Amino acid sequence: MSPRFLLKPKLSYSFLGVVLCFFIVYPLVVDAELSYLVYFLYSTFIYVTLAQGWNLAAGYTGQVSLGQHAFIGIGAYMTAITWRTGWTGYLDPLAMIMSGLGAALVAIAIGVPLLAKLRGDYFALGTLGLGEILRVIAINGGSLTEGTAGISLPSSSYVSMHYYYYIALLIVVIAQGALLWITHSRIGLALVAIREDETAAAANGIAILRYKILAFAVGAFFTGLCGSLNAYYVFHINTTGAFSLNWVIVPILMASLGGAGTIWGPAFGAFILAGVYELANIWMPELHPIFSGSFIVLVALFLPDGLMSYLTGRKDRILQKLPVFHWMFQKA
Amino acid sequence: MFGFPSFSIFLQMFLNGILLGCMYGVAAIGLSLIFGCMEIVFIAQGAVMILAAYCVYWIVVLSSIDPLFGFLLILPIFIAFGWAMYMGLFRWVAKAGKNPSLLLAFGLMVLFENLMSVVWSPDVRTVKTWYSTATLSFAEINLSVTRLIVAAVALIATSLVFLFLKKTMMGKAVRAASEDMHAASILGISPVGVSAVTFAVGIALAGVAGTAVCITYPFDPFFGLTFSLKALVAVAFGGLGSVAGALLGGVILGVLESLSSYMIGAGWADAVSYAAFLIVLIFRPEGILGTVSTEKV
Repeated sequence: MSPRFLLKPKLSYSFLGVVLCFFIVYPLVVDAELSYLVYFLYSTFIYVTLAQGWNLAAGYTGQVSLGQHAFIGIGAYMTAITWRTGWTGYLDPLAMIMSGLGAALVAIAIGVPLLAKLRGDYFALGTLGLGEILRVIAINGGSLTEGTAGISLPSSSYVSMHYYYYIALLIVVIAQGALLWITHSRIGLALVAIREDETAAAANGIAILRYKILAFAVGAFFTGLCGSLNAYYVFHINTTGAFSLNWVIVPILMASLGGAGTIWGPAFGAFILAGVYELANIWMPELHPIFSGSFIVLVALFLPDGLMSYLTGRKDRILQKLPVFHWMFQKA
Repeated sequence: MFGFPSFSIFLQMFLNGILLGCMYGVAAIGLSLIFGCMEIVFIAQGAVMILAAYCVYWIVVLSSIDPLFGFLLILPIFIAFGWAMYMGLFRWVAKAGKNPSLLLAFGLMVLFENLMSVVWSPDVRTVKTWYSTATLSFAEINLSVTRLIVAAVALIATSLVFLFLKKTMMGKAVRAASEDMHAASILGISPVGVSAVTFAVGIALAGVAGTAVCITYPFDPFFGLTFSLKALVAVAFGGLGSVAGALLGGVILGVLESLSSYMIGAGWADAVSYAAFLIVLIFRPEGILGTVSTEKV
C-alpha cells in the first residue's frame, strides 16, 4: 500500500486521531515507570516540539537559526533558578510558561537587531554566537548559576513518569496545533512569501521584520518550554547539558529528514531519527555514534528535500531524484 | 577582574595574541575559500583539523620524526582528501541547495569526531618536541618558539594560497567563480573543477591549522568544533569570502582573546569574542575589510 494514504485529508485525520488515542492510553495500560516505550515517546515528543520550533523560523520563513540551544538554556535556567529561590514549585505551569516567554523575549531582543540587518548565513552565525555567549555567561554567573558545576534540584520531589509524559504530550499537541493554525492563516502565507522572495513580499505590503520576529519568537517559546520541562526531568542543570549543541543539531536533522517547511515532516523525521538512534544504541552501542554520523551523511545525499516531499508526490520518481543516480537519467 | 597591565605585559599579550591569531587565520582562510565556492559554512573544518592533528601525532609517535616533516607527508593526502570529498559528496548535494550541504557538513563532522574517538580512543593527546618549552626573550618579552613556528607556517601557507589565487590561471578561475559562479561558467570555467580545487585547498589549509593545533595544544577528538566556531568568528571579522580579511580576522580574534583573558578573566575571553562577533555582524556585516555587495533582487 502506498504511504500516500497518510496524506488524504480524511484518512489522515482519523489516522492522527488513532495515534493520539494510543499516545493517551498507552501509559495507563502499562507500567509507565518501567516501560521503555514511554520514556522513548517522552523524549521524542520533546524533539518533535524542538524540530517544529526550528521549522517555523527556518522551514517556513527561511531564517535558519543555529541558536536553539540558547532558548533551551534560558528555559532550563529560569526554571531551575525560580524553583531554587522558592518563587515557583515542582512542575509549576507558571514557571514553564515564564520560561517559554523568557526565551521568546530574548528571541525578540536579539531578533530585532539581527533580523533587521542580517540575512541568511549571517543570521545563522549570529544566533550561534548568542548561544555561545549565554553559555559563557552561565559559566561565569557566580552563585546564581553555580558555574560549571550547575544547579542541583531536589530530585526527591519526583512523583511519577505520568506527569512528564502527559505534559510533553500536551506541549507537542499545542506546538503542532499552533503550527497548523499559523500555516493555515494569513500569517503562514506571509511567512512563506518572505521565504520565497523577501523583496517581493515587502513590495506587497508585508511587514517583513515583524513576521520574521514572530516566527523566531514563537519557535523560541516552544523551545524554552522544552528546556523548562527537561530541567524538571533531569533535576540537574549545567552549562554543558543545557547549552549543548546537540539541542541545535538534532532538531535540525529531524526537520530536514522529514522535510523542512512542511507541517508533518519534522514530526515524522523526529520519530524516525529518534527510533533509528535508539535501535542503533541497543544493537551496536559502541558503533552508535559513527552510525549516527553516517546516517546524517546518507540523508543529505539521498533525501536532500526530506521524506515528506517524496510521500506527497511533489517529486518525481525517487530514483530519479537521488543525486547518485542522476547520471542514469542525464541525456547525452 | 579588570587588571590594568603594564606596557610590557600589554605588549607580551598583544604579541601572543597575534601569534595565536595566525593559527585561527589559517583555519579561517580555508573556511572562507570553501564559503566562496559553496556558499556554505563548512562546519566540519575543525574536525578535519583534528584529523590532521591525529595523523601528525601518529607519524611522530611511530617514526619519531619532527611534526613539521610529518605535516609535509600528510599535506598531499589532505589535498587529495579535499578533492575526493568534493567529487564524491558535495558535488552531488550542492545541486539540491544550501541546506542539504550544510546538513552534509554537520554529518561529516559527527562522523569524523566519532571515527577518531573509536579508532584512536577519546584520550587527550599531546605532541612533545625539543622546542615545545623553548622561549625567545627580548627585553621583558618572552615568546614561545612553538607559537613562532606556527605563525611562520601560517604566514607561508597564506602567502602560497595568495600567490596561487593571484598569479595562476586556476587561481583566477577560483576567484571568478567565488564572485559569480554563473558568469564564470558562461566564460568556460568548469564549476565542478573549480569547486573541487577550492575544496582541496581549503582542506589542505585545515591540515596546516591541524598541525599547528597538534604542536600547540593538547587535543582530543571533540576539540574541533571550538576551532570551527573560532574560524567562523574570524571569517565574519574579515568578511565572508576574503582571504586577506580572514587572516586579519584571525589575528584580531587572537589579540582580542589574549587581551580579554588577561584583563577581564580567562573565562570571559570567549564571551568577549562572541560579543565582538555579534557587534560586527550587526554593524558591519560585510566585515572589516569587506566591500559592500549589492543585493541581488
